[in-house]
Amino acid sequence: MGRTVRHLFIAGCVLLWLIPLYLLVVNALTPAAEYTGKPDWTFQGFDLVENIKTAWNVAGIGDSFQASLLYAVVCGLAAVLIAAMAAFAVVVLPIPRPAFWFWLIYSGTLFPLQMFLAPLFGLYADADLYDTRLGLMLIYAAWAVPFAFFLIRNQMTTMPPELTEAALIDGASFRRIFWRIHVPLMKAGLGAAFIFQFTAVWNDLLLGITLSRSPDVQPVMAALTTLNNAYSSTGPPVILAGALIVSAPTLLLFLVFRGLFLRGVTASAR
Amino acid sequence: MTEIVTPGRRAAKHSAKHSAKPMRVRRRVPTRTPHHAARGNGRLGGPLAALPWALPAFAFVGVLLVYPFFRSVYDSFFENNGFTSSFTGFDNYARLADDPIFGRSLLNTLMWVVGTLLLPVLAGLLIAVATHRMRFGGIAQLIIVLPYAISAAATAVLWNFMLTSDGAVNQVLRGVGLDSWAQTWLLEWPQNTLSMIVASTWQATGLNVVLFAIGLRAIPQDTVEAAQLDGASGWRMFRYITLPQLRAVTVVVVGMAIVNSLKAFDMIWILTKGGPSRSSETLALTMYREAFRLFHVGYGSAIALVLSVIVVASSWLYLRRQMPEAEAEADARAATAKA
Repeated sequence: MGRTVRHLFIAGCVLLWLIPLYLLVVNALTPAAEYTGKPDWTFQGFDLVENIKTAWNVAGIGDSFQASLLYAVVCGLAAVLIAAMAAFAVVVLPIPRPAFWFWLIYSGTLFPLQMFLAPLFGLYADADLYDTRLGLMLIYAAWAVPFAFFLIRNQMTTMPPELTEAALIDGASFRRIFWRIHVPLMKAGLGAAFIFQFTAVWNDLLLGITLSRSPDVQPVMAALTTLNNAYSSTGPPVILAGALIVSAPTLLLFLVFRGLFLRGVTASAR
Repeated sequence: MTEIVTPGRRAAKHSAKHSAKPMRVRRRVPTRTPHHAARGNGRLGGPLAALPWALPAFAFVGVLLVYPFFRSVYDSFFENNGFTSSFTGFDNYARLADDPIFGRSLLNTLMWVVGTLLLPVLAGLLIAVATHRMRFGGIAQLIIVLPYAISAAATAVLWNFMLTSDGAVNQVLRGVGLDSWAQTWLLEWPQNTLSMIVASTWQATGLNVVLFAIGLRAIPQDTVEAAQLDGASGWRMFRYITLPQLRAVTVVVVGMAIVNSLKAFDMIWILTKGGPSRSSETLALTMYREAFRLFHVGYGSAIALVLSVIVVASSWLYLRRQMPEAEAEADARAATAKA
């Protein structure tokens, strides 16, 4: 590839990728009442706060935002802890048939969610968990465990077994070994797993629309879908402001912890 | 396990030299030889000691994922409308064969897989190669990865704004005088599926760029220099050096692209809901509509199983790398070493 062609190609790509983002910001800033029915290409005002307020209060993004924050933080943390314990059992402790346990847990990420949905719905209806925050938290935690387990297990196998042996000789219990040796040494890996699962739970739509209905239980992506269904009556500025505020937490995580954010996916590539 | 060790003569001499006291009394010093430590029964407390650590994970995954999985397989042999169910054997699967909606859905799924391999994977490779060791290449990569940090749902909302009849895309086309190109992107097949694939390309390419960039950085400089000495450059360098060295990464990228395209749901659900008149449904959408909108639970479960088989079969190559057994990894390493 010639140097000029190469530069032109990259410049074209960057432009193509920036235009939708630019339109998103510009039109989310347009005052809702002044929207003409056609996308604006220049700034028409600075009504972002007003538009976000409308989306937050009128369209119910606010309730869902808080619910999703709860789901993503609690389930992300719970899943990482549960997965780290399971990885500890499979890698460090003498569990029989570690490969069987690995596949049992890992199989949770293999299959599409559709494979679990219908029985889950039945299960939730029977157990009175349908449309409750607890119900969603349980399934999000369960759904997040397998991949977190995969990431943490891979990192744990790289730790020298001598560390565990030395600690055992010094008389440390399993719990002490786990909390004082493995957890501190794997801080970065655990952080990457948490960020990955936080993002996965935050971005979920399918489980949310299947297992919940009321606005204060529904996760934020489901609320955004409801908002988008009222496209013509609410108007694009409010909807795009909603999309912007809903994307803020993951965007922030990405910009601050870029390395850790991408580590989750790139780990499976090595 | 415990042996009595008597301090040797050297130690005795040592202590005698430094203190006027009479020789010390023998002490018991517990020691353990390595083979004792390696055997699992002693301090490690048998195989059952590990179980409590793994139990929470097994409980969550077992009750909420593994049980529903088998229940789905079981349900797929029943005619179930949500209230009554009756055993029908393989009827649900037989019905798939002459259901025109399932046929269209399968075709759309195939379009998604092929489209995802053509657009985001190829674009990802080209962008990664073009930005490799380039000034401001990192910034260009960052901008293209940015949509990856946005959810599929938010991306769909944004592209709905772009693709509606009076949206930004048609506005641009009319603006540059291509009025005849402007059309109802989301309301007719096949352009609704195609334009959704473009929308997902905008989001998914960044991840592939990152993965290919990692692969490019791992190519040893010696190899590149040797090829340069032999006079390779441009296309020949790319074809005979870069591409073969990227083989391992490509397997992963292709595997992930196929699986993600088969699982795509959010984007289609928000942009078209699978419509109009179910023309843009993929298998993931058809299952959801059958099971939760039309209450054909058994039929939906059969579709879910077909989708799962396709997902697992097509990700086999990619999965083999992740097996805990060393064999597969050794195979892969030998293969890359040879290449």
